[in-house]
Amino acid sequence: MAQGSKKGKSGWSRRKFLQTAGVAVATVAFPEIIISCGPQSNSTPAAVIPKARKGASIRLLQWTSFVKPADAEFKRQAAEWGDANGVTVAIETVTGDQLQPKTAAAVEANSGPDIIQMQYAWPHLYTNSCVDLTNDVNILISKLGKPDPVNEAYCKVDGVWRAMPYTIVPNAWSYRTDYFTQAGVSSFPATWDELTAAAAKLKTTGKPISQTDGHAYGDSLTMWNPVLWGFGGKEVNADGKTVAINSQETRNAIKWAQGAVKAGFVVHPEWLDPDNNQAYHADRISGTLNGASIYIREKIEFHHYTDVTNNAPMPSGPKGTFAMNLIFNHAVMKWSPDVETARAMLLYLMDKTQYQKWTTIAAGYNAGPFDAFHNDPVFAADPKLKAFQDVVAPGKWPGWPALPSKKTAQAQTQFIVADMFAKALANGGTGDIEAAISAAETSLKAIFERP
Amino acid sequence: MGTATRADAVPVWHQRRVRIYDREAPLGYLLLVPTLFVLGIFLLYPFLFGIWLSITDSELGNVGNFIGLGNYRFEFRNTDGVFYGALINTFLYTGVTTVFKFGLGLVMALLLNQVFPFRRFVRAALLLPYIIPTVLSYEAWRWMFDPTFSVVNWLLVNTHLVQYPGPNWLGVPANAMAALMIVNVWRGTPFYAIAFLAGMQVIPLDLYEAARVDGASRWQSFINITIPLLRPVLLVVLLLSTILTFADFQGPFVLTNGAPYNSTQLLSIWAYQWGIPGGAIGLGAAISLVLFPLLTLVVAVVLFMLRRPE
Repeated sequence: MAQGSKKGKSGWSRRKFLQTAGVAVATVAFPEIIISCGPQSNSTPAAVIPKARKGASIRLLQWTSFVKPADAEFKRQAAEWGDANGVTVAIETVTGDQLQPKTAAAVEANSGPDIIQMQYAWPHLYTNSCVDLTNDVNILISKLGKPDPVNEAYCKVDGVWRAMPYTIVPNAWSYRTDYFTQAGVSSFPATWDELTAAAAKLKTTGKPISQTDGHAYGDSLTMWNPVLWGFGGKEVNADGKTVAINSQETRNAIKWAQGAVKAGFVVHPEWLDPDNNQAYHADRISGTLNGASIYIREKIEFHHYTDVTNNAPMPSGPKGTFAMNLIFNHAVMKWSPDVETARAMLLYLMDKTQYQKWTTIAAGYNAGPFDAFHNDPVFAADPKLKAFQDVVAPGKWPGWPALPSKKTAQAQTQFIVADMFAKALANGGTGDIEAAISAAETSLKAIFERP
Repeated sequence: MGTATRADAVPVWHQRRVRIYDREAPLGYLLLVPTLFVLGIFLLYPFLFGIWLSITDSELGNVGNFIGLGNYRFEFRNTDGVFYGALINTFLYTGVTTVFKFGLGLVMALLLNQVFPFRRFVRAALLLPYIIPTVLSYEAWRWMFDPTFSVVNWLLVNTHLVQYPGPNWLGVPANAMAALMIVNVWRGTPFYAIAFLAGMQVIPLDLYEAARVDGASRWQSFINITIPLLRPVLLVVLLLSTILTFADFQGPFVLTNGAPYNSTQLLSIWAYQWGIPGGAIGLGAAISLVLFPLLTLVVAVVLFMLRRPE
C-alpha cells in the first residue's frame, strides 16, 4: 500500500506525460480512437467507424415480429438511414421457422441478403459466412456498456464477434388473475413446487396452466431447459464434450414434471409456437409461458382479458432460477458487396436513441442486449411488464453450461431435452423416466461424440 | 445447266446441314440436346452433388472432405432409434397412403367416367386439393386437428361418434401418424383419380359394347377390359406417387415436425433437421439418399412390368 502511494506521487514521469498527452491529442484529432477503450485489452486495435457508400443497396432478412408495429418502426428507421446516406435499404421479414431454411440456402449458395438475423447459435453454424464484427461491437460496447452474456455467447465464436447483439425476447408467464383468484391462488408461483400446487387448484376451474412439450422451436425450449437447469440437470458438461444428462438431477426434474402433470398442469405435444397464444386469447387456459406478445396483443389489439392478465417471471428450482429467452443478433454476410455500409447501418439501428424508439413501440416484447438498455423506460411504463425484464438476467442458452457450438445447436434443433420430458409426460405423466433419459443420452452422445 | 448452277449456288455447310436433317438418327439426337441440357442442369447435377455431399463431412458454407460411407455408417450404427424409427415410419406412411390413394383414386375415376350433370365441373373441382398452395392447406388441416378448435372433433362429438373432447389428433403418436396419412391421402387421391380417368377415356367403347353383347357383367368388363388396358397408367402413377410419398416433406413438417417425441419422424424431416438447422449438410444428404437403392429397384421393377408384353 505504502509502495503504491509512493509510486502514485512520483508517477508523472516524462514518458508517462508524453503517453497521456499523445492519447489526448489523438483522441481529439481522431474521435473514433476513444471507442477502443472500455472492456477491451490494450492490444485491441483502435475501432474505426464504418462509413456508408452512397448508391449502395442493403438487403436485411429477419423474422416477422409478433408485435407488428415493431417491424414497421424498424423498417422506418432503416429507410430513414438509407435516405440520409443515399443507400437503398430493403427489409425482408419471414416467419421464424422460415428464417433458417432461407439462411441456410443463402450460406450454401454464398449469395443472398447482406445482413441476416441470427437466432440462437447460428453464428456458430455459419461462422465462415459471417463477417468479423469485432470492431463494430467494440464501438457499441464503448457507448452502451457490457453486452448481455447470452448474446455474447451466441455472437462470439473463438473470440471473434461474428454477429452484432440485437435483441432479447424475454419469456415469462402470462396468467389470468381472475381464474387464479377463483382457484384460491393469490399470486403466481415462485417455485416449481408451488406451480404444481397452483396447477392442481386451477384444474378445478377448467382453465388449466398449459404449455407445449412438442417441437415448438421457441416455447418448448424456453420451458423445459430452465426446468432441467432449475433441478441441477444439464445436457453436457462445461467442456462441451461430456454428456451429463443421465443424472439424479435430471431424474428430479422429470419427477417434478410428472407430478405437475398428474396434479393438473396440462402439456400439449402437438402445440407449436402460436398455439398457446391462441389458446390463451380464446379463454381456454389460465396461464402459459411465452414472450410478452400474449399480454401486448391483449393490451393493444384484443382487449378481452387485458385487466385480468398479469405476467410473472420463471419459478425457481432447488438449484436456482433459470430462464431461456429468444436471442436474436445480426450478422453481416461475407458475400455482401457493401460490407462497410451494412455495418454502418447496423450501428445506426443500435444507437441508443433509435433503439429505444423501437423498444418503446415493441411495447416490452424486446429487451436491449447491452447494459445501457437494462433500465429501458418501456418496462417501467407498465408494471405488468416487469416480469419480462426480470427474466433477462437468469437467461441461459441450450447446452449451458457448455458454450454454444455446432453441437449444442444440433441438440437443440433435434428437441432432445423437450422430447425427453415429453416421453416421460406421455399418458398423463406416467411415461418411463429411465427410458426417456436413456434415449436422450444416446442422442446426445451421437451428437457430442461425433467427430 | 440450270440445275448445276443451282447446286453450285448452295454453300457446302448448308448441304451438310440438310443431310443431317434428312437422317433420322442424328436429327433425333440433335432434338434431344436441349432436353438433356435442362435435365442435366436441374436433375443430374443436383443428384450427383447430393451423392458427393453424402460421402463428405461437408457443413453448410464449408466444403468438406471425402469420408467414404462414414455418414451412412453413423446413422445405421446410431442406437438412439430415431433413424430406424424414421425409416419404419417412412415405409408405413408410404405403404398405407399409397394403398388408399390407389383404391380411392380408382373408385373416383370410375365414378367420374360416368355420364352425369355438371361432370366437367366436378372433374375440375376434384383437383382443388392439388391446386391449393401446399402449406396453406396443411395449416388448415392443423387447425382442423387442433384439440382446442378442431372442427373434426366437433363433428365427431356432435354426431355422437366419439365422446367429448374427441381424440387428440396430433398429440398422441398413433393418432398423429394417422392424421399425417389422412392429409396425404386427401391431397394425393385427386392425382390418381385424374390420371386414371385420363387412361379410361381412351379405352375404346367398342370393347365394352362387345363384352356386353357377349353377356359380360360390369365387374367382368372392369377386370378383363379396364384393368388390363389401364395397366400402363396404373403402373406409372403408382411409381410416381410412391417416389413422391417417400420423399414427402411439407405436410409432415407443417403438421407435426416429427412430434410427439419423434413418433412421426420421417426420413425427409430427419434429413432436414441434420442438414439445415443442424448444419451437417453431408449427413443430411446421406439420410435422404438412404432409400435411393430401394427406390431404384422399385423403378426397375415397374419399368420391367411396363415393357413386358401382355
